[in-house]
Amino acid sequence: MEQQKELTEEESLKLISRTIYEAKGYFHESGVAVIIYGFSIFICSILSYLTDKAIITFPFQPFYLFIPVFFVQSYVQVKEEKKKKAKTFTDEAIDFVWTGFFISVLVAFTAIFAGIHYIAISIILILAGLAAFLTGILSKFRYHIITSFLCWLLASVSFFIQNANIYLLLAAVAVLLWIVPGFILNAVFKKQQHG
Amino acid sequence: MFKELDPILHSQLRLAVMSLLISVKQAEFIFIKEKTNATAGNLSVQVQKLKEAGYIDVIKEFKDNYPNTSCKITKKGIAAFEEYVKTLQEYLQVKQP
Repeated sequence: MEQQKELTEEESLKLISRTIYEAKGYFHESGVAVIIYGFSIFICSILSYLTDKAIITFPFQPFYLFIPVFFVQSYVQVKEEKKKKAKTFTDEAIDFVWTGFFISVLVAFTAIFAGIHYIAISIILILAGLAAFLTGILSKFRYHIITSFLCWLLASVSFFIQNANIYLLLAAVAVLLWIVPGFILNAVFKKQQHG
Repeated sequence: MFKELDPILHSQLRLAVMSLLISVKQAEFIFIKEKTNATAGNLSVQVQKLKEAGYIDVIKEFKDNYPNTSCKITKKGIAAFEEYVKTLQEYLQVKQP
């Protein structure tokens, strides 16, 4: 690009629109952190279901397994953030949405200490639907918009299933909201890296 | 009477840099270089001019033990960019029959 090239007004506007379009299309997300997160919730949900149904015995509440996974997932996330060459406003907004989601989930877990832990799962399903919906709108990722409605539907159903089976709904949401989109992101990322 | 177009922005490379930075929160020098197809030397000169005008902030830090330069648009830069686009639109409206 020449340093002193004179631009006409039309060329200037074209340059602005083209550059803004290119910058907004920047994407760097391998999906690995999302996949780790999704599989962890899936496994913890299944273990909780099996424990509550007395099919297996587990020395502690299986969701405590999520604590070390949280640190691993955060480490992967931080490493990925460092690889980004640019931080878009969309990335930032999505980060805020999921940070809000995680804080809300921690708050919802206080229901467990109040002895009403199945209702906490229903609340988590509603919050997951909301976070997925906002992510879908912000990133224009239609898959997330559709699955957010499915998530809300499962959240409604969950109010009628206040027993161990509710963990199966959470496992289904883990597949829909994290595992499948994680693999989609990973496929797009690999294609982009090789393209 | 038309306002004069901001001479700092009315240059192909500087305008491309500003258009990139208005769309993202922060961008690394290498990202700007890739998107504008500019040479590192030329880009450095233009980035310096934008910095001197107060339109962008240049952040120098270490990333994985290597020096890394990032740029971020300032409030003054946003105002100047908006004014530039507004003036361009005025020019184009008059040109159209």
